[in-house]
Amino acid sequence: MSAGAPGSVAADLLVLGGGLAGAVAALTARERGARVALVRRAPGASALSSGGLGVAWDAEALPGEALRSRRGWLESARRLAARQPEHPYAVLGEALEALPAAVAFTARELGALLAPPLERNRFLATANGAALGCALCQRGMVAGDLLEVPGKLAVADFRGHLGWDSRLVAGGLAAFAALGGPEPVALQLDLFTGPGQGLLRPHELARALEPPGAAEEAGRRLREALPAGAGAALLPPVLGLDPAARVPERLASAAGLPVAELLSDVPSVPGLRLQAALDERLRAAGVELVEGAVERAEGPGEPLLAGGREVTAATWVLATGRFTGGGVVRRGALREPVLGLPVHAGGEDPAGPRLHSRPPAALTQARCFGPQPLLAAGLRVDRDLRPLGEDGRPVHPRLLAAGAVIGGHEPAQDGTGLGVALLTGWLAGRVL
Amino acid sequence: MPDPAERYDVVVIGGGVNGAGTARDLAMRGLSVLLLEKADFGVGASGNSSGMIHGGIRYMLSDRRVTELACRDSGYIQRIAPHLLFRIPFLMPLASRGEEATLVERATWYATEVYVGTYDKYQPLKRGKPSVRLSAEETYALEPSLRPGLRGAVTLDEWGIDAFRLCALNALSARAHGAVVRTWTAAREVVREQGRAVAVRWQDALTGERGEARTAAVFNATGAWSPAFARRHAGAHVPMRPGKGVHLTLDRRFSNYGVICTAVDGRQMFLMPHETESIIGTTDDDYYGDPDDLEASNDEVEYLLEGVESLVPGVRRARVTRAWCGLRTTIHAYGPAEDALSREHALHDHAAEGAAGLLSISGGKLASYRAQSQEAADRLVALVGKPVRPCRTHEEPLPGGDEVPDPARLAAEYGVAAPAAARLVYRHGSRARAVLGLVRDDPRLGLVLCRDEAILAAEVVHCVREEQVRRLQDLRRRCRLAVGGCAGTDCARVAAQLAGRELGWSAEQVRAELADLLEVGWRERRPVLDAHQLVQEELLRGVQAGLGVRR
Repeated sequence: MSAGAPGSVAADLLVLGGGLAGAVAALTARERGARVALVRRAPGASALSSGGLGVAWDAEALPGEALRSRRGWLESARRLAARQPEHPYAVLGEALEALPAAVAFTARELGALLAPPLERNRFLATANGAALGCALCQRGMVAGDLLEVPGKLAVADFRGHLGWDSRLVAGGLAAFAALGGPEPVALQLDLFTGPGQGLLRPHELARALEPPGAAEEAGRRLREALPAGAGAALLPPVLGLDPAARVPERLASAAGLPVAELLSDVPSVPGLRLQAALDERLRAAGVELVEGAVERAEGPGEPLLAGGREVTAATWVLATGRFTGGGVVRRGALREPVLGLPVHAGGEDPAGPRLHSRPPAALTQARCFGPQPLLAAGLRVDRDLRPLGEDGRPVHPRLLAAGAVIGGHEPAQDGTGLGVALLTGWLAGRVL
Repeated sequence: MPDPAERYDVVVIGGGVNGAGTARDLAMRGLSVLLLEKADFGVGASGNSSGMIHGGIRYMLSDRRVTELACRDSGYIQRIAPHLLFRIPFLMPLASRGEEATLVERATWYATEVYVGTYDKYQPLKRGKPSVRLSAEETYALEPSLRPGLRGAVTLDEWGIDAFRLCALNALSARAHGAVVRTWTAAREVVREQGRAVAVRWQDALTGERGEARTAAVFNATGAWSPAFARRHAGAHVPMRPGKGVHLTLDRRFSNYGVICTAVDGRQMFLMPHETESIIGTTDDDYYGDPDDLEASNDEVEYLLEGVESLVPGVRRARVTRAWCGLRTTIHAYGPAEDALSREHALHDHAAEGAAGLLSISGGKLASYRAQSQEAADRLVALVGKPVRPCRTHEEPLPGGDEVPDPARLAAEYGVAAPAAARLVYRHGSRARAVLGLVRDDPRLGLVLCRDEAILAAEVVHCVREEQVRRLQDLRRRCRLAVGGCAGTDCARVAAQLAGRELGWSAEQVRAELADLLEVGWRERRPVLDAHQLVQEELLRGVQAGLGVRR
């Protein structure tokens, strides 16, 4: 990293945003030898991740169709692209075929935390007893893949804590037994029954399992409670905050069977692990981290001021996220706050009137569980990920966007998950 | 098959404040009562009112006797539910448009002082404090968020209440006095024989169970639904001019005092702190649509914000968490503007229309519900024609209203945080002890589900066991589950687990109830998705995804 004035940074690539998309872009560019600076004001929304990284699931599967016969994430992504022409998967055209490479790269870079991907989705349980298809997941979740449990699936909660209900999870998963999933059995572990332990928050529970002996004790309790024929056990997603504490492994070894976590809701211990792993990897790879909100940004080639430092790079990747990340804000009208780029609300005709300042009720539908254009709002990009201006042409040849700041998809609802983040991050990182 | 033994003196239809209040009154007088509510207590105009027990200052211009009655009844409500009321001091700012106040403006200020000063005579009836004329300096010291250039203010003392709980407590009291109370049960048909209403056929929306209740009198207290109800079931007419009232909720107490503002069209409106939040209200517009299909529109949201902005400019930076609405069941009159319509109530006996024994109510206001209920009960008693005990609803406390325990002592005694104890005392009065007793028996129930306002797991369990909770969304109204800023991101799943265990729900039912809870809240959030609330919605979409509900 070369430096001019004290604290100033010169780089080949400037990444704005500290979530998964930004991190993958930075790491990809580093691997190719570029000098990379990453500016972020706070951890990205990836810190709220459930622990599973979705890419696409088979929306065309029939109810009652066996899990094993469902399409894999790549084919599902292709079909999603065919159905929704505004989805980034569609906008990218042939570059969508890079999805396996991007997924593999992400799994490799975060190999300490993430398990290698399969061609199919892993079917992982939520605390509500639903099962979601994930292309990637944390290592401590693999054994919960409904297609890989060799026998019954023991679902456990904690006797001393009301945060999870194994009967709810097992009751929900029972519906998958007919689709090739395991037979779930609910049980309760005699854990966290000490004074005040019932009031702990998830990260506190996770820390409590880390000290020597704690995970082993939990494993012994699990072994005592196991039903005959159990092939794996599912536990609440609090199996240690630090992966180095190896809580799932220690617990599994004491219990004598594979152990997995549920997918998490927020606040999420697996999300905190993901953010920590990203941080560690970025530092190890030699990415220059600049912490602080952007104070001045004019565009690629011009010095950017953030956290009191000046960063100059000829190419920028805007990976600032959507509403949670702060990449798109709405105060009366939708706005991209860093460069003032035009924001589009999904479903709009590029040639038609701009919808960004329409009232929220006009950009949503009354039924909650449907597509909501307002929540799919974001930048419109071309095939090369360059954001488009009002005139429909790229704003700048060396300005790219990656991740949720790109509109046209709703990660939590359309099954896309973090798929767009890791694909567009990977593609943007290869621009140099 | 209908149960032939199902006989009542009165069938009350509607679990709003009039229906629940009347059911309570009748049951306490010794009559047998069936209360039918097609959804949950207070879901219509009652729960979606401003949540105030005020003394009817506006009636002073037309009829001071009404003000006196309203203040007296407000005093009664304090007597029977002392835990549930909280003081809201209001400021009526004295504003002028120019540098120098005009003569007209000075005259208006003087009139305001006289007006509020006259109201002071009635304040002792409801334990209200007398008004005070504040200088500009004093005004800004109390309420720094007001715009510069004001000449002072006059204070006005009123009382706030959780209107949903007021409805529920009346219904629960009716139940305790022997009434049969059925929520999520619709009245399908009023059976008439020889010009008399003799029975009501009902159906439980959740179980499908049906029944027929024979009765001597039917009370139609279905609020905005009552004209259609009377027409469909008895060919009878209830004259009504429904008025839509929209409120906004801000995520925190945005001002120290209530502030009376003037909207763009000259109507009075307000911003007021209410429990942990602030409320902006309200619109008043004729409504011709379906009462089941009520949603705030963007222009109504703008109208309210603009009105408050004229005195509290910072309100534009506030986080609006919800826009909610109800229909005033105003008595019909052709001609006057919405605002000028009488807020009086009227009882309609449909005997002349071929439905003797059927009584409907329209109009009225939350603060006078007890007096309205007493009057309705008098009429119904006459229709039934049985000897009864005298009305005692102004004396006998509502459930939990017999004592207001000291929160600090309770917190120490049961080992919970003081704010959590204070919240329980506010919502449950003496029954806060029962809630905290659950924590003592099972410390896990001390888990804080909502970190906005310390909803304890124990409160959820208590409400489910004791307060006729049949659906998860009923907890929105019993203990404010998922109505705060986070809209259920943090609390909904654990609350659903607890309710599901108590009520024996299957995993599928738990998920369906969670989906329903999020859907109900979405209707209130949709018109105000902006800034931080939009961030919250994005997180909430993740919660929805975890339900695995396919679209």
